[in-house]
Amino acid sequence: MYFSKALFKQSVKANWIKWVAVTASTCIMLAIVIIVLGNLGINDIRDSLKQVFVQADQESSVKEDVVDSYDLYLATLLNYNQNVQFSSYISIITTKYDGKVQQFEQDNEREPNGEEKSQIILEVANEMKPFSSIVGMTEDEMVMLVSSVLNVYIEDTSVKGTDLFDKYFLTQIYQQSYLEVYNREIENGATEEEASITATTKADKSQEIAVDAISQYKQDKETAGTSFQFNIENYYSVATNYVNTFMYENVYQTQIASGEDEEVAKQYAVSVKVISNTALSTYQLWLGEGKTQEEARAEATKSISDQIPEKVAVALSELGNMDIYGLIIGSIFYKIAGLLLPMVFVIMTANGLIAGQVDSGSMAYVLSTPTKRRTVTATQMTYLLVALLAMFSLLTVVSVIAVWIVGGDAFAINFSEILLLNLGAFLSMFAIAGYCFMCSAIFNRSKYSMSIGGGLTIFSLVCTILGLFGSEVVPSAMRISQMNFFNYLSVITLFDTTSILNGSINYLWKFGVLFAIGVVTFIIGVFRFDKKDLPL
Amino acid sequence: MEVITVKDLTKDYGNGRGIFDISFSVNKGETFGFVGTNGSGKTTTIRHIMGFLKPQKGEVFVLGKDAWKDSCEIKNFVGYVPGEIAFPDLQYGTTFLKAQAELLKIKDMSYANYLIERLQLDPSANLKRMSKGMKQKTAIVAALMADKDILILDEPTTGLDPLMRETFLELILEEKKKGKTILMSSQVFDELEITCDRVALIYNGRIVDIADVNELKNLPYKNYKIEFKTRDDYLKFKTLKFEIVRDQEKYNQVTIKIFDKEMNRLFNILRNYDLKFISEVKHNLEKHFKEILQEANKKGG
Repeated sequence: MYFSKALFKQSVKANWIKWVAVTASTCIMLAIVIIVLGNLGINDIRDSLKQVFVQADQESSVKEDVVDSYDLYLATLLNYNQNVQFSSYISIITTKYDGKVQQFEQDNEREPNGEEKSQIILEVANEMKPFSSIVGMTEDEMVMLVSSVLNVYIEDTSVKGTDLFDKYFLTQIYQQSYLEVYNREIENGATEEEASITATTKADKSQEIAVDAISQYKQDKETAGTSFQFNIENYYSVATNYVNTFMYENVYQTQIASGEDEEVAKQYAVSVKVISNTALSTYQLWLGEGKTQEEARAEATKSISDQIPEKVAVALSELGNMDIYGLIIGSIFYKIAGLLLPMVFVIMTANGLIAGQVDSGSMAYVLSTPTKRRTVTATQMTYLLVALLAMFSLLTVVSVIAVWIVGGDAFAINFSEILLLNLGAFLSMFAIAGYCFMCSAIFNRSKYSMSIGGGLTIFSLVCTILGLFGSEVVPSAMRISQMNFFNYLSVITLFDTTSILNGSINYLWKFGVLFAIGVVTFIIGVFRFDKKDLPL
Repeated sequence: MEVITVKDLTKDYGNGRGIFDISFSVNKGETFGFVGTNGSGKTTTIRHIMGFLKPQKGEVFVLGKDAWKDSCEIKNFVGYVPGEIAFPDLQYGTTFLKAQAELLKIKDMSYANYLIERLQLDPSANLKRMSKGMKQKTAIVAALMADKDILILDEPTTGLDPLMRETFLELILEEKKKGKTILMSSQVFDELEITCDRVALIYNGRIVDIADVNELKNLPYKNYKIEFKTRDDYLKFKTLKFEIVRDQEKYNQVTIKIFDKEMNRLFNILRNYDLKFISEVKHNLEKHFKEILQEANKKGG
């Protein structure tokens, strides 16, 4: 066994003050970082930014809804007015159909089946052809229309006359709206069930609007009597008012239904009404300026995020999505601030355990006793590893307690993540300790061991600091992507905090590399020391 | 029996520095001295014997074992005072001595305490604040306390005051009496002359001469320096057939080498001369080596 208890004790005695100072200050730093920042709620800013973007998205969809409703209202009026003449023929058509069915029942002493009904419908439609010119349709259009109306009629023969026409009209709008939304949802990747639910809601809403539009039309016609003259332009403001009110009511009801306070619901509904009004005035203005319906629609449905330049929007939305805790605890504490003092400890201790003693000559006392060189290196290596392990065990305990204090698994960084961060920091220090130990075992002079072992370590740390400004964790507004180059120069880059906090497993192989670096450098150090000349 | 054997040992550090073809051996119970100026190669040779350096050429054996390969085993029999005084990073002298005892696997500290008393050391002092002499005493105690058969001491008297040096030399003589084999280097001829059986002179990395101290002390001849009051006497004396080692005409002085058996003849002759003084010129180690170096330089030059 290459281990000397006496030498180990000697190393503990020589380094314990350093160890206590470094461990204590690092633990305190970590506790402050987690607890104080945890209570400050630094994610509030992020959350409110995020809220802005969520609201912007909502605003945009509300506006689309508003424009859709407005278009639908006007389209319903136009269509209804076009086909209203036809409604006077409805009673003729149903009477014809009823007569034919009665005839059939007398002839065959039974009701017609589905196929036979279709036959009868076709007969009626053909008989209506001559009237097509009067209502301003082609014969084919007339046939189609009559067939459609009769198809609605046979579902419930008690609805007749104008009511039947209205029913037919609304069914048309419902189906059209349903299909449109259903297909769009499927295209956007929704499942059939989801699409059907969304489409049903939307179609119900469309039908509601259409019903209101028709009743408005009828009311106007009744009031005006025979002097009624339909002009769509008269209905622009009516439609606007209708949609604004409709949105208001809709939102108010939903808010109340979800248990909101009346006042709050009202406030919310008013703000939606304002958005609705803004969208519609924009829409009308752009249409008036001669834009196509699509262009005008695009302008009217713009949200805040559409109005700011794209780069700024991306930067702001990234800022909203940034995990400030992950950045401060993961990238800044565990990779930079928390490693600094352990690094200083490792650089000084690794040097003092071998090179320092060779340089001063005090190693002569150990080696003039029956102690093998390998026993010396193995014991000193063990000391360094035990010291580091103890340091990071304490740090782990402190960090777990701190996380527990600020909310446990509900905290932005949960227990398993904090454990992995500690393990990663330990493995980084393991690799650095191996390298520093190797330099200490190779060089006879402290100044070379310190400048080559410690120099590269500090260089790594500085590169990590510079590289931070180019890494993904920093939002693009502050990021200088060229600085990422520095990350390739630092061994600490193998400690992938981003991967740990993302939940991906990329960090695992990097942990393996860190471990391997440590093992290899320690072994090189031990073997080199066996074979070299010592000026003692 | 040869305890330490060094054969053709060479370590060339370039620019003429290093040691070259060093060969000597130390027998059991013998005290062997090393003398030479700073940088002459004493410490380098000792480091090879301790197994800290690997020979470029040649071999070093201690108790028949290779000093490089079996370095650890050899340490079971060796006590060592290093040339440079630097202690491990420990607070007190006692802490250091205890740690060292643990490494040496010593349980009985009575001999260590005896040494501490002899050297009047206060081991409870802070290691870092110790004077050079205190540190040296601590190092000596650490080396001697295990009572090993072989002692290798690299300039062990540096920093000791003259009285303490005396005590230390007494200690070495005690150890010698116990039958220990001692290898000791120094820049002071006196202390080697007192303690050593043989002394090697190292100059520019080579052993120039190995002198037997006992032989040097018991030479069959002596040198006398004589000054005459008159020039006539001086000139007359020179015609007699004495071996003149040195002739200083200016002062009417001669130094003659004379065998002990001719002593009576010399004094009979001198009765007829008017002398200012006559004194013996001691032939010590220092003189011996100086002569050898002068000769070597003459040959070299």
